[in-house]
Amino acid sequence: MTAQMFFIGFFGLAAVWFGVVVFRTFSMVRSALALLFSQTALGALFLTMQAEFLGVLQIMMMATEMSIMAIFMVMFMMDPGGLGEMEMTHQKRLSLGTGIVSFLAAVAVAVFVDWGPVANAAPGAAQQTVDLGLELLGRSMLIFETAGITILTAMIAATAVSINKPLDSGIRRNDGKGKASKRPANDEH
Amino acid sequence: MTTVLLLLLLAFGAYLVAVLENWTTCGRFRLAAPVLAGIALLGRESILTRKPDRIFFEVAPVLLLLSAVLAAAVVPLTPNLIITDLATGALFINAALVYVLVALLMAGWGPDGAYAMVGGWRFLGQLIAYSMLIVMPITAVAMRAESLFTTQIVISQAQLWNVLYQPLGFVLFFIAAMALAFLPPFDLPTAKGELAGGVEAEYTGVRLAVFRLGRLALIITLAAATVIFYLGGWQGPWLPPWAWSAIKILAVTATMLLAGRMMPRIREAHLLAWCWKLGIPLALLNIFLVGVLVLVFP
Repeated sequence: MTAQMFFIGFFGLAAVWFGVVVFRTFSMVRSALALLFSQTALGALFLTMQAEFLGVLQIMMMATEMSIMAIFMVMFMMDPGGLGEMEMTHQKRLSLGTGIVSFLAAVAVAVFVDWGPVANAAPGAAQQTVDLGLELLGRSMLIFETAGITILTAMIAATAVSINKPLDSGIRRNDGKGKASKRPANDEH
Repeated sequence: MTTVLLLLLLAFGAYLVAVLENWTTCGRFRLAAPVLAGIALLGRESILTRKPDRIFFEVAPVLLLLSAVLAAAVVPLTPNLIITDLATGALFINAALVYVLVALLMAGWGPDGAYAMVGGWRFLGQLIAYSMLIVMPITAVAMRAESLFTTQIVISQAQLWNVLYQPLGFVLFFIAAMALAFLPPFDLPTAKGELAGGVEAEYTGVRLAVFRLGRLALIITLAAATVIFYLGGWQGPWLPPWAWSAIKILAVTATMLLAGRMMPRIREAHLLAWCWKLGIPLALLNIFLVGVLVLVFP
């Protein structure tokens, strides 16, 4: 029990610390990866609280998401490498206020809500996965799963349709007649 | 005890992969070559680039090795020879292997070198194409086993191996595993010919040794994962379970290394297009087919 408490504290502090690091660096990529490790620490926190499925899921999802976020930030921001000491904080007064208010709200919810009797033991990991599925989806399981697969298929189809067939030279453009025309890359002038 | 034994086995597996990988280039001392190369690397000076991102630069090789080892922790070699049998085993392998992407991103960004950075971003592009192809076949495997326990997945193949039950999934997973381990022809991030080593380019000495060890461990871990997901794990006639595991893992590793040698490197744009237009739809089809099979023949 003490080991569990220790690790809960450790990963909790790690999550907060990496969250702080996000705003302390001057580099986009460092900031994105600090956010990733903050989320990973949260996943580890779930694991120490014996919520195995949630923990592993959190750890798995965040890595890809944050990496993709990093590539987008580098693509769209000026000074991605942080060589010019880019500031990571924006709208300081508003965000400070929002941060304090939401922190107080979260603490209030944690303290004042009646959570019911304290559980002495967690159910087995496999049982948890089943319970979680039933809790989230209930008897609408089939509908949700069908909808999920449909949305996924639609997303993949949209992406696949929007990829032009790669060419060996030149840029492919759509000439408006539903047929892409092949032109040399430097035909701007 | 089991943990130590399995870590030693993983190290030995990495050694075998290194021997196999350089079989044709090492001359007479093939069996000693990886060890000698490792010792040489350890003795060499570690050179830093001019303005590296120190944390990323140092952490990346360790993270690569760590994710391979963590993924190996839930791979059973015999019914009892497993470090920890998690209720979310199949998912956990995924979760650990996703950090290979983070490690290569860090290794690409860290040293502040053009080749390394191009290599890192290339791997990200490659994984945008292939990470879904890793997960979706595993979903189909878990559907058949009705469990995420890796041991349960192996036991579910007692009658018929998954390679015969869902051959499409096997092919997709195999290709995706090769892409994840950046083996040729998917070695875009390290491309020796065009990027001078890519993400490896600025690494020297101990750091390079750890990076290479991590990559070898990754290859053997992925081969082991392929075996437990599709080739019936430890199961087989006459021989004891551990022997079957060893034979299958080595066979898969050799096939991975050999298949890569026979193909030219694939360009990033082609990779993305092929994967999104062909690979992922086929993976969805695989899930559908397996779903029907599971429902019709329970």
